[in-house]
Amino acid sequence: MAKFKKGIAGIFLTEEQVVKAAHKTREMGFTKFEALSPYPIHGMEEACGIKRSWIPYVTFIAGLTGMTAGLLFTWWTSAVNWTLNIGGKPFWSLPAFIPIIFELTILFAALSSVAAMLYACGIPKVSPPIIDKDITSHKFAVFIPHDDTGYDEKKVEDLMKSLGAAEVKKAEF
Amino acid sequence: MGESNHSVKLHVGKFEPSQTMKTLAYAFLAIGLIGFVVGLLKNQDRMWPAYLTAFFFISMLGLGGLFWTVLQHIAKAGWSTSIRRLSEGMTSFIPYMVVGSLVLLAGLKHLYPWARPEEVAANPLLQHKAAYLNTGFLIVRLLVFGLGIWLFGRAIVGNSLKQDANGDESLTHKNLALSVPYVLFFALSFSLFSVDLIMSLLPLWYSTIFGIYCFSGMFQSSLAFLILLMIYMKRSGFISGYYTIDHIHDVAKFMKGFTVFWAYIAFSQFILIWYANIPEETEYYIMRSQNGWTAISVSLLIFKFIVPFLALLPRGAKRSESHLILVSCLILVMQYLDVFWMVMPNFNENHFTFGFYEIALLLGFIGLFMMAMMKFFQKHSLVAIKDPRLHEALHHHVTY
Repeated sequence: MAKFKKGIAGIFLTEEQVVKAAHKTREMGFTKFEALSPYPIHGMEEACGIKRSWIPYVTFIAGLTGMTAGLLFTWWTSAVNWTLNIGGKPFWSLPAFIPIIFELTILFAALSSVAAMLYACGIPKVSPPIIDKDITSHKFAVFIPHDDTGYDEKKVEDLMKSLGAAEVKKAEF
Repeated sequence: MGESNHSVKLHVGKFEPSQTMKTLAYAFLAIGLIGFVVGLLKNQDRMWPAYLTAFFFISMLGLGGLFWTVLQHIAKAGWSTSIRRLSEGMTSFIPYMVVGSLVLLAGLKHLYPWARPEEVAANPLLQHKAAYLNTGFLIVRLLVFGLGIWLFGRAIVGNSLKQDANGDESLTHKNLALSVPYVLFFALSFSLFSVDLIMSLLPLWYSTIFGIYCFSGMFQSSLAFLILLMIYMKRSGFISGYYTIDHIHDVAKFMKGFTVFWAYIAFSQFILIWYANIPEETEYYIMRSQNGWTAISVSLLIFKFIVPFLALLPRGAKRSESHLILVSCLILVMQYLDVFWMVMPNFNENHFTFGFYEIALLLGFIGLFMMAMMKFFQKHSLVAIKDPRLHEALHHHVTY
């Protein structure tokens, strides 16, 4: 598929090396690079310069939407469209509707968060190219795409080697 | 932010309370004693409810400290090791709680309708409940609860203190083995404790969720207090490096979670009673929805849930000490008001009074709590310095 970018990947064998490499890569002025690891590494966000996720805002707004929807829906069904006398209580009895409003708040917030997360991660990704299959078990990588600022094949290869990469290769990601 | 703590210099000093703090504690205690004695001589009907409110409020902080401690043992938590001693310090109030609950026995007749023989004689329902609600059995329950909590607490905190000296790792395992039965014991006995002391003020009324309601307020408020304690110890320079804003952030997440939990439980109690609309159950809320009490009921909803919840929602809010101080203080004030709201309408249905006795007794118990903790922290290290999981706490940081 054409949407994967060509570039150069350095394979690293330890966690410390890849964090240092990501840090250095960022210092060199690259912005579109990716660091790959089989598991989350503390300090990687800062090393890569990843900003805070925007997903919490989606959650919050979706939650508010769900709340409003629940409020309007219970009001419209119980007090406007189909009024029922339940235990002599007013048609519009807020306490009775709080559970529904609460559930809708949670439902909207949760589903939207998952959807936003999938979107942000670009999932599902159909058969992505494999840089090195060991990245899923015990190796780490830093990948710099060809369209990043200041990309130069020779320069990037030297950079990776100087950072202690066990292997430097052309790859797609 | 995400910097590892390797480079930070670890320092834990000897805790020495400032003169002002000592003076304050003694002054508060003196005011409390004066209030207690004056009330005993002049107006027992005013004094005992005030005593119960203040006693229950402060006891919750001591019990909450122990609950937090055992929770960390059960979860085998590493990140909280460096702050565990602070919550262990909160448990130093527990012996005073045991004594305080026994002092309460002197005022039973002024507090509980079921303890007044003439009222029991006039009410067949109370006679049916007398098998449970009688002074002798109450004393047994208070002793089992108080001594049980005290012995468990002494063993669990004691093991942790022993470890400071010898670094024996088996003590950590022992604490896990003690913590699990403690939680079971606590769940049952604390429910009965809150039923006995607060719910039976209105002996014909019952709510099966009452114990959990008290628990939720207890945990919420003790987390707020723990945050204040952490910030205080950090700012006054007794501890540095052992815990950072990341630890405070995580305790603040707990506090937000249990703010929601309190609201959830409070609403669960309310909605069933409101929906079923059975006279013997609605009594409790009717008393609290008229005269001056409506304002307090509504303020609980707003200031014990909505405001703290929104104020703790953004990440930055949970990482700002000055912001957390404000929210924690608000939660503590609202917890006192919550206990006040549970106790007082049973005595003053028509209006509420907050005067000399309430203030004096509250200050008295605060003074006692301060003294107990100052003594504890003067005697012991402020960090569980040889805990085998301490290194995890030193590497703790919160990612996004």
